[in-house]
Amino acid sequence: MTKESVTLTINGIKYKFSVGDGRGDVAPAETLLETLRTKLMMTGAKESCGVGACGCCAVIADGDALAACMTLTVEMDGKNIVTVEGLEDAKMGLDPIQQAFIDEYAFQCGYCTPGIIMVAKALFNRKANPTPEEIKEALAGNYCRCISHYTVLRALNKLAGNTDAELSNFVRANDLIKDPVPVHEEVYQSPYAYGHVCRHSLD
Amino acid sequence: MNYRDVKQPNYRHVGKYMPRKEAKDIVTGKATFLADFSVPHQLYARTKRSPYPHAKIVKIDISAAEALEGVHAVVTHENTPFAAILGYPAHRNMLEDKVTSTGEPVALVAAETMEIADAALDLIKVEYEPLPAVYRADEALQPGAPELYERFPGNEVDPGCPYFQPDGPWWQIKRGDVEQGFKEAAFVASDKIEFNEMPCPAAPEAPSVIARFDGDDHYTVWASAGSAHIMKLYLEAYNPGSTFDINTFNVGGCYGNKQAMVVQALSACMLSVATRRPVKLVLSKAEQLTSYEVRLGSVMEAKIGMNKDGLVTAVQGMWLVDNGSVCNGTGGQVGVGLGEAQLVLAKCEHWDMDSKMVVTNRQQAGVVRGYGGQELNSCLERLMCAVMQEGNFDPLEVFKKNYVGHGDKYQWRDGRTYRGRGSFFFPEAMQATADQFGWAEKWKGWLKPTSVNGTKARGVGMGVIGNADIQEDNSEAIVRIVPQLDGSNVGGGQCFVIVETDVTESGMGQRSNACKVVAEVFNCPTEWVSITPSGSKYNPSNFGLCGSRGTITTLKPVSEAAADARRQALEIAAHKLERPEDQLYMQDMVIYVRDTPEINIPVSKLAHRELSIVGYGKHVEKFDVPSCVAVFIEVEVDLETGHTEVVKLAGGSDLGQIIDSKTVEMQMHGGIGSACLDTAIFEECCLDKTNGRLMAASMIDYKWRTFNEFPPFEAHIMESQIDTFMFKALGVGEVSGAALASAALMAISNAIGVSIKEYPATPAKVLKALGKA
Repeated sequence: MTKESVTLTINGIKYKFSVGDGRGDVAPAETLLETLRTKLMMTGAKESCGVGACGCCAVIADGDALAACMTLTVEMDGKNIVTVEGLEDAKMGLDPIQQAFIDEYAFQCGYCTPGIIMVAKALFNRKANPTPEEIKEALAGNYCRCISHYTVLRALNKLAGNTDAELSNFVRANDLIKDPVPVHEEVYQSPYAYGHVCRHSLD
Repeated sequence: MNYRDVKQPNYRHVGKYMPRKEAKDIVTGKATFLADFSVPHQLYARTKRSPYPHAKIVKIDISAAEALEGVHAVVTHENTPFAAILGYPAHRNMLEDKVTSTGEPVALVAAETMEIADAALDLIKVEYEPLPAVYRADEALQPGAPELYERFPGNEVDPGCPYFQPDGPWWQIKRGDVEQGFKEAAFVASDKIEFNEMPCPAAPEAPSVIARFDGDDHYTVWASAGSAHIMKLYLEAYNPGSTFDINTFNVGGCYGNKQAMVVQALSACMLSVATRRPVKLVLSKAEQLTSYEVRLGSVMEAKIGMNKDGLVTAVQGMWLVDNGSVCNGTGGQVGVGLGEAQLVLAKCEHWDMDSKMVVTNRQQAGVVRGYGGQELNSCLERLMCAVMQEGNFDPLEVFKKNYVGHGDKYQWRDGRTYRGRGSFFFPEAMQATADQFGWAEKWKGWLKPTSVNGTKARGVGMGVIGNADIQEDNSEAIVRIVPQLDGSNVGGGQCFVIVETDVTESGMGQRSNACKVVAEVFNCPTEWVSITPSGSKYNPSNFGLCGSRGTITTLKPVSEAAADARRQALEIAAHKLERPEDQLYMQDMVIYVRDTPEINIPVSKLAHRELSIVGYGKHVEKFDVPSCVAVFIEVEVDLETGHTEVVKLAGGSDLGQIIDSKTVEMQMHGGIGSACLDTAIFEECCLDKTNGRLMAASMIDYKWRTFNEFPPFEAHIMESQIDTFMFKALGVGEVSGAALASAALMAISNAIGVSIKEYPATPAKVLKALGKA
């Protein structure tokens, strides 16, 4: 049976595309990622590895996270798709996962972040309080090279209510000092970085 | 000097976490990266690449490709619109009648769609005459080795880097008398160590560029470049007589590796000239992994002497650097590598360390995070381990003793000598990090495991590195206090602030930090401060975020510019309020009289209506402040399979002042990526020597660690208020992982009881060391 058109619901909106090899058609070999990015200008899902190995293109289709770069648009006929663009609600604001990512600074360059958020969203849709292991396992297909892993896991574990899952312990030496030297405001800064204060100083 | 006696300021914003200006855009998918962007009427480029590592191009037939419907231009060495020199020093044209690495461009196609361009590649017929190839620097230097370029007889590149070295080329550390130094040594070790797999930084976003020829030798370029300024510098050098305006967006991972992207940019420029249309070129992942710049290769033969107190007394050696097929200013990386060696071994008075840069038929090697430091450190620290082991020293004590302190001399990449003016507390920072890691309990001695549990053995290692490049290159900034129009009071303030300096964001958060420090100077909310879009044309000059320079060389000009604007505002206010400036303070864009705050004036009323108050600040490069990062690692090696798992990591430093707490934490984590840590364990670029091709052409084949493979991480940061600029901070991100590879080999060696010196220590190599394979 040859499909002449495909209809996808994306972030609640129905889109109908003709299938064919004409300019503007969705070709049978066209990936969902290409349709999203080039036909619908939804550039949140990113092109990276092209072989489903990095998760940068992850979207949710009928509840499951999948790699849009390895999914044919023609096979998504009738499906309900959610992209990162669809998470923020006009009235309610950011999705809790998005807000948690901001609060915990769970990204660096941000290229892999939409994919990580969508995979996390699919997990949290299925289970409101995933365990730390379940979160790590779910994200095992997401590649991040800048290293956002620790803060991503921190953000998601906090959301899930997991209290004993912290992997990164950041200690500031100043927090360890008892009775630190009190600071008063200076109008005139000393020109000497390491000068000693002596009895005759006005400082 | 006691750390607790350092006066710690109490800032409104600095030192605390501030969500980045891009944060909301990133988590909602709205943040723009190059591939998300298009220019009207653009065409799409694809590249036909050489299948041979070394060959003459006998004939190219592009007629069938040109005739394909939808193809607008096909460019080869026979019809290039301009010469496009490559190399610093220049040694070839980008397209020539000869190829010197598998995967380098042979022909360029611009077409209506990517698919048409791809189809055209298959229609281009190229006849090659293969030549013998050489894949190792030491072999390339042998008499009779295949010679790549006339410009480099014997494949040796001119030493030095003129752009960095105004006094003449510098590529050796020669001082004192090494024979004397070795006489003073109680322990001597010599060896040949290689860090030569030339791994790939593998940023998630492939190098991408859009180029538009505007006529009159002028080009506008949009690129996924980490620095618009650096890209402009290279492109104008490689296409002499031309001018470039570079625009950048968010960059999906740079790690120093996507700063200039000259081949991609010049390719797109050529096609734009040929078609008179903008041309978009986005590398596929296969191209990025097999044909784009990788890390330098390093082979070091050296000898180190250490006295009975654990101080290094002499270093002698030769460092061979493999550039791959193009040398793109590697002399700068050599300079930094040699400089960083002196920071680690700063008490040594006797040096005879030489270097040679060599071209081979491997993929072009370029800049990657660590910038020569990781490449040299990974070799040198292995040798240090040998001599420390001879003396049975705890490596922590050796690193603490030998690291550059105040007043210690070193020669930096410019060939000039400096006395270090960094932290007084680097040894203390190393110790505190070690304590947090549990080093004292875990260190059992050389080649002794921390623990053995059945077939699993654990071992620990450490490494130290630093960088005096943290004040490199000049930068400037303008800060404008801009009154709201019509005196409106948006957000409570009557002014907002624009920071103008060219900073491309690739994940370090420095664009936001620039806004934060300006808000600190003005004592106003950070929401009122914005920074101009990155790009070379309209912004004051800034080399951008590379080499840990961002903290000082961006935050210093912007804070000085803010201070300049603030001073002007106080001066005008003093006149209007008839008070001395010293009696005034600024808060939330209102200037108050101290002790009688009811006497005040909004900043918006200071200048003429709707006009700004403008401040300027700059930084001129110097190299007298080194940074330092100490890293610690615990591994568990399966003695049956040879597999290594990382079970704990730690990193620490003295940063002077944390600008943003979460940013610093992430920069310390960052050393796990960017082809750092795992280059010692499993990460490598496997070269097929029958055809010079890198074999991992997809992310399924280029193995890297996943979310469920990240061990606990301890970070310890001291803040001793180092005198660098107003906020006493120094940068650290670039070197946070540079010593991790050597630390990992130390840990694996200790776990298995046998010294491993090959990178990466794959299961096969571990089993071979154990005599099991």
